[in-house]
Amino acid sequence: MSGPLQLGPLRPNGKGVSMLLSPSLLFIVVLLLGPLVLLGRYSLNHFEPGQFMVQGFTAENYGRFFSDPFYRGVLFRTIWIAVLSTIICLVLGILPAYFIARVQSAKWKSLLLIMVILPLFMGNAVRVAGWMVLLADRGLINAFMQAVGLTQEPVQMLYTGTAVLVGIISVNLPFMIITLQSVIEGIDRPLEEAGLNLGANHFQMFRRVLLPLMMPGVITGTVLCFILAMNAYATPLLIGGPKFQMMAPAVYEQITRSSNWPFGAALAFVLMASTLFLTVFSSWAMGRKSPAPAKAHA
Amino acid sequence: MKSFQISSALYRFVVFATLLFVITPLIAVIWVSGFSNKVISFPPQGYSFDWYLNAWRLDTFREGFWLSLKVSLMSTAIGMLVGVPAALAMVRGNFPGKAFVSTLLMSPMMIPGVVAGSALYVYFIQFELLSTVQVAATLPGLIAAHSVLTIPWIVRLVVASLISNGNQIEEAALNLGATPWTVIRRVTLPMARPGLVAGGLFSFIVSFTDLEKSIFLVGPGSTTLPIAIVNYLEWNLDPTVSAVATIQILMIGAALVFSDRYVKLSRAF
Repeated sequence: MSGPLQLGPLRPNGKGVSMLLSPSLLFIVVLLLGPLVLLGRYSLNHFEPGQFMVQGFTAENYGRFFSDPFYRGVLFRTIWIAVLSTIICLVLGILPAYFIARVQSAKWKSLLLIMVILPLFMGNAVRVAGWMVLLADRGLINAFMQAVGLTQEPVQMLYTGTAVLVGIISVNLPFMIITLQSVIEGIDRPLEEAGLNLGANHFQMFRRVLLPLMMPGVITGTVLCFILAMNAYATPLLIGGPKFQMMAPAVYEQITRSSNWPFGAALAFVLMASTLFLTVFSSWAMGRKSPAPAKAHA
Repeated sequence: MKSFQISSALYRFVVFATLLFVITPLIAVIWVSGFSNKVISFPPQGYSFDWYLNAWRLDTFREGFWLSLKVSLMSTAIGMLVGVPAALAMVRGNFPGKAFVSTLLMSPMMIPGVVAGSALYVYFIQFELLSTVQVAATLPGLIAAHSVLTIPWIVRLVVASLISNGNQIEEAALNLGATPWTVIRRVTLPMARPGLVAGGLFSFIVSFTDLEKSIFLVGPGSTTLPIAIVNYLEWNLDPTVSAVATIQILMIGAALVFSDRYVKLSRAF
């Protein structure tokens, strides 16, 4: 009885598709794209303190951003921390990812995976609270160092750039490990063994066989970690303290505390644009430079 | 034959040290929450559960917890209502511009929280000025913002479980005379159950722990739990905040272990 035309919602086309998709797309257009367009428009407005909004069409907010050494410094510091933390995440992430992908016992594998995934879903507030407990003057690390006699006085670790870097790395590392792990899992073990049998040592095998094959995962993980680091809010705010300014807390500060929407909007767009530009550029560069597996000869 | 030495001691040490580095902050928080000390210091003078009671007595944490729970349950429900049909269309439908629509559906995941949050804040207030209806700093406004956050997770996980099932059973049901809606209700949705459960749980977690987007949208005097934690940490570092953090860790840990039974956690990425 039921001809193909009556399949309706199961094989939706035309009207059916738009019926199924329109609620979610409406949400995204009204509550994400619309606000972003408005924010972009606001970044071109003129600001007068005390007045809510002064319509205008000017690039003065962007001009102020790039001519003010303070804000240029905030941007460069953010980029520097993001680049450095991403590189360290990549270096630190490869071995655990490989181990988890290749470990034989299923039990071990799920235990290790849970160890990586649990912190990932805990939220930034909680993870940063953990780092504060570790790094505080009377925190665990200082207590340990004093107990074993490494220092007499507590070492100031909170409110330093290094602490922010360490915090961001530990927050983002699980993303890198999970991404690399899933890619390595898809690479056939015999390919590695073939490389080794043909006389490559482990490092050569890694460089000529494994790395080229896992390049898609390297790019995805790197992009993910970089974006997360560029936009880190809680870590620089709480671990960096007032002296160590990064972009995301600065956006919050301008929009809500200073109520300077045009400048805050410009900050947000500079942050988003620089993230996007560096992301596209680095994945292009990595895709180009990834060693071609076909030409490998030891 | 040489093979990669997965058993070498140094290799194992490096792997475990790295994993420890990731998980130590959480262990430290849980440990400290049981200290009886007034100020965090090691080793502890003794152990007690007083900080949990103290956390519960503080309005900001108790109310923050309820607000977070309310917002994440509501936004997950809304996300399901709009996300599941979208997943169905993405898997079974054939239409031009599918790749573009897929990018749109995933975009809430890709726009940084601080940028999306500040954009929504400005947007809500602009709306208020035009319509005199307040949205910013209200519960519906916060729920709306979080609903958008849940869409990519639900779409992604439901799509994954629908794809792996194929559609032969649906066709069989249709041939046996079921109406399309009955098939969806009795066949398609039960088959997508792992994706629905995992998508729902992940959405709940993402919403419950969201910080960057919510900081712009909460009202004066009412905060979500993560914001309450950050505000508290700006001025204090004592075992109270670790008790709060521990409760969140245990809750989300339980949700993750539960969802692992439906969809292997590592597949969610």
